[in-house]
Amino acid sequence: MSMDQALQTYIEEGRSLLEEMEDILLQLENEPLQDDDTVNALFRAAHTIKGSAGLFGLDAIVSFTHVVENVLDKLRDGELAVNGDLVELLLKCRDHIALLISVVAESGELLDAEQERTGEALLAALRGLLGVAPMEPASPTVRDTPVEASGGGMMEGDCWNISLKFGRDVLRNGMDPLSFIRYLSTIGDIVSLATDDSELPDLAQLDPESCYLGFMIEFKSEADKKTIEDVFEFVREDCTLRILPPPSHLAAYIERIEHASGNTDMIGQLLIEAGILTSHELEETLAAQEKLVAQESGARVPVGELLVKEGVVQKEVVDVALEKQRQIRDHKAQEAKFIRVNAEKLDELINLVGELVIAGASASLLAKRSGDLVMHEATSVMSRLVEEIRDGALKLRMVEIGETFNRFQRVVRDVSKELGKDIGLEISGAETELDKTVVEKIGDPLMHLVRNSMDHGIEPGEVRTATGKPARGTLRLNAYHDSGSIVIEVADDGGGLKKERILKKAIERGIVSPGQTLSDHEIFNLIFEAGFSTADQVTNLSGRGVGMDVVRRNIQALRGTVDIDSEEGLGTTVRIRLPLTLAIIDGFLVGVGKSAFVVPLDMVLECVELSEADRKAADMRNYVNLRGEVLPFIRLRDQFEVNEPAGKRENIVVVQYGGLKAGFVVDELMGEFQTVIKPLGSIFRQLKGISGSTILGTGEVALILDVPALVQLSVASESSMAE
Amino acid sequence: MAKTILIVDDSASLRQVVSIALKGAGFDIIEACDGKDALSKLNGQKIHLIISDVNMPNMDGITFVTEAKKLPAYKFTPIIMLTTESQEAKKQAGQAAGAKAWVVKPFQPAQMLGAVSKLIMP
Repeated sequence: MSMDQALQTYIEEGRSLLEEMEDILLQLENEPLQDDDTVNALFRAAHTIKGSAGLFGLDAIVSFTHVVENVLDKLRDGELAVNGDLVELLLKCRDHIALLISVVAESGELLDAEQERTGEALLAALRGLLGVAPMEPASPTVRDTPVEASGGGMMEGDCWNISLKFGRDVLRNGMDPLSFIRYLSTIGDIVSLATDDSELPDLAQLDPESCYLGFMIEFKSEADKKTIEDVFEFVREDCTLRILPPPSHLAAYIERIEHASGNTDMIGQLLIEAGILTSHELEETLAAQEKLVAQESGARVPVGELLVKEGVVQKEVVDVALEKQRQIRDHKAQEAKFIRVNAEKLDELINLVGELVIAGASASLLAKRSGDLVMHEATSVMSRLVEEIRDGALKLRMVEIGETFNRFQRVVRDVSKELGKDIGLEISGAETELDKTVVEKIGDPLMHLVRNSMDHGIEPGEVRTATGKPARGTLRLNAYHDSGSIVIEVADDGGGLKKERILKKAIERGIVSPGQTLSDHEIFNLIFEAGFSTADQVTNLSGRGVGMDVVRRNIQALRGTVDIDSEEGLGTTVRIRLPLTLAIIDGFLVGVGKSAFVVPLDMVLECVELSEADRKAADMRNYVNLRGEVLPFIRLRDQFEVNEPAGKRENIVVVQYGGLKAGFVVDELMGEFQTVIKPLGSIFRQLKGISGSTILGTGEVALILDVPALVQLSVASESSMAE
Repeated sequence: MAKTILIVDDSASLRQVVSIALKGAGFDIIEACDGKDALSKLNGQKIHLIISDVNMPNMDGITFVTEAKKLPAYKFTPIIMLTTESQEAKKQAGQAAGAKAWVVKPFQPAQMLGAVSKLIMP
């Protein structure tokens, strides 16, 4: 958009306005009595032509149209009556304006002498109507040099409000109160000044040397607050001064506060930075605050509150400043605690540490084989350090889950309002740490579970009171570490899952066949099946049948599991189990034949020898008696088809996962091993019982056992054999 | 982020010229052709200043300003009225309605910039 284009717009606009004028004038000629709107439209057309012409410096149009406009103004006000002559004159004026505009359109062309004369004649006629002398200064003539805009300005009342109360001793101290007011008028205009003589005593008591007066001044000035305050600098200690900025400045101050640099989080400093408070005022307020504390020996009144109470700063401004202060503090708190690091760099570091661990293992192995004791010593020191570096590096990625949990405070508040339910959120285990990548991805599934619990789990208040529960529903978010995983629980004290309804729906949807017998647990977990929703009605929060299956999928993508427990009438608990980290774990290395396997160390309970008697019996059954307990086991040799004969002795590694115990039968126990998880290629994705691989010090590959899957497998096969 | 000014006038060319001047000074501009149109633009978006003509079809500037001041989001938004010399009464009405300043038409773009910069910073 350029000025040339704007000028084109003006010319087109002017022409269409002139057409409008013509129409209205012709209308007026036929029917002189038109309503106000019509005449106003006529006036507006001329007004707009003039107003916009001024912007382009088209002074000829401005000065001519100005006079026309004045006539139309009188017409509008009813001071002139519509008659044939007037319409005739106005039509001619219209034509003249059209001429002037076309001069602009065909730039360069000038009015010829005759046209000039026509214009003059028209103006003279118009002035006759206005009843003013041709050279009356208020109405510019054609020959006037460029018409300057007549100005503009600030509205009155848009003033600084200064309230000034001099101290009694100001005269004795040799000050002349009036001189300050005189000086004030040098930096602006005193619009009004009212004397406050409310403290003036009776004449009998009046001390002529004391000053009893105060002044309320409305002051118009471009000066800032500091400058105005400085006027009273010499009498500052001896007077009470309140300077309130004009209301129109408020927006600007608020703006300035909003964009404050953030150098300070003190409310007073913020306001000073914005220029609405002077340091002197702040000092006074702080002193007043101290005094209040001393007097009431109680809580400290916030500075912001005091500033408003004392009338130093408007409430709106203080509110904005408080908000800004909160923002800055939040920001600072984060700054102080954290250094932002690109996640990629961290991943790179973790990768390198992984390689270091493998290389370290290889070095230790070589040192051990060489039999060089000094070398062995050196490498073991190095191994320890590597281990520490590994832990440190992994910790870098660990964050507390509290922050994620806290986000739900707001969610719970908003959603409960939306649902019209009274629901409180209880958070525990906020300090539990887990890998950042996991935290990032757990937000959405958690959100879904929380909303689901609030929407479908927790009953409305009336139902709750009817069943003897407190009207306020409770949602609990809990997190804790459990055997190498983090468990996150979303629990509600709502109505619980209704088995029959779930089963009925599942059969309806063809998820289970009618004759199938399912345990309670299995029934509950049906809600994670795709396309399952028991909600009677769909709300905009949940209940569309998409969701629970997505939740499960998301969690599984993190190598986690999700599980649901419910008791009808008492509530539902959803338990998410996630691996602590996705990169390096402490493993327990076992050997089967020539192959090596890694069991995540956190899941290993104990190792026992498979006794000769049990070995014989084990050909028939897959369990042993472990101190009176049935322990189902799996022979890794069979499971992974290791085609080598078993050694002379076999061992059982007892593992626990999610409340289930199982044993792995292996040949050799090789001990703790720092395991750098290398994901398996996608073709192994379907492999059951293996969750990844790792590289041993010798350079050989060891498979990492997927304990949850194997435990399930062994428990299932044991119970199927029992049946 | 640049500050936003809403300019309300029934003259497209005036709006354009003012826009050019104010955009040049670093403001964002929203245009409205009369009071009604302008009210519909006051939909919660942040507007730092309103410049409004007085005499407009559909809804005049005084009504518009009075209405705008009723909206909490625009209660403190400074308003400049565009008036003519002959409209002393309108100026008073504008002030009563909550306008903070006035600029007399016709004006030069620089004068508008001057008035604007007294009320807000770019």
